[in-house]
Amino acid sequence: MATTFTAPKLSSPTFQTLCRNLPVFTPLPNPLSSSSRHRHHYRLHLQQQRRNLSVVRAESENGSELLRHYDFDLFTIGAGSGGVRASRFAANFGASVAVCELPFSTISSETTGGVGGTCVLRGCVPKKLMVYASKYSHEFDESNGFGWKYDTEPKHDWSTLMANKNAELHRLTGIYKNILGNAGVTLIEGRGKVVDPHTVDVDGKLYTARHILISVGGRPFIPDIPGSEYAIDSDAALDLPSKPEKVAIVGGGYIALEFAGIFKGLQSEVHLFIRQKKVLRGFDEEIRDFVGEQMSLRGIKFHIEESPLAIVKSADGSLSLKTNKGTIEGFSHIMFATGRRPNTKNLGLESVGVKMNKNGAIEVDEYSRTTVPSIWAVGDVTDRINLTPVALMEGGALAKTLFQNEPTKPDYRAVPSAVFSQPPIGQVGLTEEQAIKEYGDIDVYTANFRPLKATLSGLPDRVLMKLIVCAKTDKVLGLHMCGDDSAEITQGFAVAIKAGLTKADFDATVGIHPTSAEEFVTMRTPTRKIRQGPEAEGKTGNEAKAAAGV
Amino acid sequence: MARKMLVDEEMSQTNQEEAHYDFDLFVIGAGSGGVRAARFSANFGAKVGICELPFHPISSEVIGGVGGTCVIRGCVPKKILVYGAVFGGELEDARNYGWELNEKLNFNWKKLLHKKTDEIIRLNGIYKRLLSNAGVKLFEGEGKIVGPNEVEVTQLDGTKLSYSAKHILIATGSRAHRPPIPGQELGITSDEALSLEDLPKRAVIFGGGYIAVEFASIWRGLGADVDLFFRRELPLRGFDDEMRAVVARNLEARGINLHAQTNLTELIKTDNGIKVITDHGVELEADVVLFATGRLPNSKRLNLEAVGVELDNTGAVKVDEYSRTNIPSIWAVGDVTNRMNLTPVALMEGTCFAKTVFGGDSSKPDYSNIPCAVFSIPPLSVVGLSEEQAIEKANSDVLVFTSTFNPMKNTISGRQEKTVMKLVVDSETDKVLGASMCGPDAPEIMQGIAVALKCGATKAQFDSTVGIHPSAAEEFVTMRSVSRRVAVRGKPKTNL
Repeated sequence: MATTFTAPKLSSPTFQTLCRNLPVFTPLPNPLSSSSRHRHHYRLHLQQQRRNLSVVRAESENGSELLRHYDFDLFTIGAGSGGVRASRFAANFGASVAVCELPFSTISSETTGGVGGTCVLRGCVPKKLMVYASKYSHEFDESNGFGWKYDTEPKHDWSTLMANKNAELHRLTGIYKNILGNAGVTLIEGRGKVVDPHTVDVDGKLYTARHILISVGGRPFIPDIPGSEYAIDSDAALDLPSKPEKVAIVGGGYIALEFAGIFKGLQSEVHLFIRQKKVLRGFDEEIRDFVGEQMSLRGIKFHIEESPLAIVKSADGSLSLKTNKGTIEGFSHIMFATGRRPNTKNLGLESVGVKMNKNGAIEVDEYSRTTVPSIWAVGDVTDRINLTPVALMEGGALAKTLFQNEPTKPDYRAVPSAVFSQPPIGQVGLTEEQAIKEYGDIDVYTANFRPLKATLSGLPDRVLMKLIVCAKTDKVLGLHMCGDDSAEITQGFAVAIKAGLTKADFDATVGIHPTSAEEFVTMRTPTRKIRQGPEAEGKTGNEAKAAAGV
Repeated sequence: MARKMLVDEEMSQTNQEEAHYDFDLFVIGAGSGGVRAARFSANFGAKVGICELPFHPISSEVIGGVGGTCVIRGCVPKKILVYGAVFGGELEDARNYGWELNEKLNFNWKKLLHKKTDEIIRLNGIYKRLLSNAGVKLFEGEGKIVGPNEVEVTQLDGTKLSYSAKHILIATGSRAHRPPIPGQELGITSDEALSLEDLPKRAVIFGGGYIAVEFASIWRGLGADVDLFFRRELPLRGFDDEMRAVVARNLEARGINLHAQTNLTELIKTDNGIKVITDHGVELEADVVLFATGRLPNSKRLNLEAVGVELDNTGAVKVDEYSRTNIPSIWAVGDVTNRMNLTPVALMEGTCFAKTVFGGDSSKPDYSNIPCAVFSIPPLSVVGLSEEQAIEKANSDVLVFTSTFNPMKNTISGRQEKTVMKLVVDSETDKVLGASMCGPDAPEIMQGIAVALKCGATKAQFDSTVGIHPSAAEEFVTMRSVSRRVAVRGKPKTNL
């Protein structure tokens, strides 16, 4: 596997010198200026990293290391979003790169996967295609209000959708393979396992590499309750052979909500079981309430504070879900959307000393380096922010760090995200609750309105928009929206929020009329001003900080 | 009457405070700009009167309605019809997603029209309430200027009311006009097009601006055969040339017949409709001929000559940066001034006027980086400079980033229509000078981008923003490689 041995190899020793010192010189992100719950995470990682430093140094100072010959500069295990990005970019920077991936299947397991990974095969893409398909039933309803009429009610043919969806997935996995091939990355089909800090075993064949990247992602997790073998997870839910007539979805996270919308739109009866009072823990409280209401209005049956205890299969093949509140019968399918776990089992990580947390996520430093200096990890397997674009960012940053002499940390501030529920949610920055905790004094601007489309369609659809502004600096700390086009609308605002723009900057922008998005630049009066004390208005910076610490 | 007067000339008229006026402000025209100025002035404590013509969907010299063009004959009804028309394409797209629909879909134009009219009547009422809640006195009738501080309102029954006002604001908007060709009376304007009794089967549209393009998309989406005639090579003059070509391609792909560089020369009534004759000698027959050949300011019947308010050669009221005419007590905002004829701009002008005159805060409207949208199907939305404008104004090379892609929805629907996005960047400052997009949701997507541009965001700041996946909008933050670099050669650098 002797590929070009040129610039990158010469430059990587230089980098190693650089890199071993970096964690010491790199300042912590400023807790006041940057956001998100992940920071605490970080501090932890950094402490661990400091402890590991001695290891890094010891190895880097061992000069012979640099002279060793490897089959590859980088060997990536897992060709999903993060792995493909890191591999391609590394190859573009001149590195010789191999990536291994399990054979393609729509359902993931210890032995199946596919180039493209979760996003392309079992996540974002098929999910969004199903959302497109399912949204039509709402559009048919809307269109009635705009003068369209159906002589016979539109019927949905499940098999057409599945066939077209799977054709698209095959096309995409092919494209991903081509992308890798065109970048000069060697693709190896099989299950990769780490043998030592510089060796990967793929189904019995050994490959050596200067760096190993673990980007094996995560998989749905179903809790072990009686009858859990009858439950399906999101992998299966994206590829059901026939329409589920009556489906129970257990979970209140984004995956649960998205599938509730999908199945409802494709004309199933949908019951959603959530452990808590509200869906979407971690999201802005007002958004949580709002999306729950809107989904109920669209016919999804909510079972709150109801946890599954057992699944029973009846003689007629239907499933019953036993919960802490009773038993509901007659489900054709019971789906668990109860979290995902990193795919770190049987990768040989423990034996080489790659440290994992109690959930099985690989612990990494700010540069995505594990406790073994030559082994790195990006994406869901590290359980930082589990989003495709974040994995892409991490993969891109890693390639720069390793092969472009440009140590780059992924920046987790103001990462926007969307939930493709119906209606969808878009958000960036802090929730109201986080903002109060971190900044104390904030102004909250909200708009809760019936969009123009709904006034004509007569449907009870509404839109909620929300801006959270720092009272002291006027900076927009967070933006949240639930309603049509939320995901598309949020992206541009994410640029503005990432750039640290103020409410005054929003106000100075002229609206695009008539759109929903224009509401974000025409919010003139705060819905509420939150102050930490009666004399809050005239508070000094110190007092504000003290309050924020409460 | 302790209102702050900011404008110097008036400060010098010390006895102004003592003079008695019926109103601090009298506004002629209750459209977007007029209502905004009236409400905000009243909120600042001014005593405000406003007059507006009686309501009807189709405007004329004597017909108008509170809410103005935007609410009654523009943005709102247009967007409603676009929503209706988008379903045409959507329903086609549904089939490959597994939906079984009747081969022939029924669309009931009268129902849509009826609901649209209900909605604008509702909005008309809301606008009236907004005014009365703000304490603005509304008069129904035609307003005229009698003197620098004197207006006359002719009410419906012919009685005339006269009021004095410290300030007069002209906010009468504009109206569609028809080209002077033989048979022009057979054609209609956008006013009528929004209220047609029947959906045309064969529609001819003359004009290449946004109104022409939007109606072409509306009628086509609802099933009509549409022929669009325009004078230039491409529609939408003034927009980025590349995007104009994209729009033209999309319109054609959606089944609209484009006739570039073609003028209509005559309309003739026939038994089956209207015969349309072009300067290329083409003849075709249509049920409806729409003139979307421009709009003219409503400045004719205001008696402006009498007080000497200056107009430009198109009839637009000339104003300074604060929206003041050459007569210090008379001001004008919105389409009647023909600056940038958009509702949110009229709102901005109205707000600035109120702040300047009654809010103690001298404010000029800022016309930089104003985003706008064309609700064609699919829509176009832009903010900042076009590539051509950027090259024209640039002092350093211009970097152009483009992304042309098949939207995810089309991968299954099979619709052959690419979305195109574009960023124009200054190579020296890295500032994003302009952004444009043609594709579904473009107007919604562009609003946030506009905030970023307004504040001088750089390409690096775009790049550092994480995408929202899977969305179309994420393309704007993932444009890694430059499509072309346009050198500013041959352009003499200034000596500054």
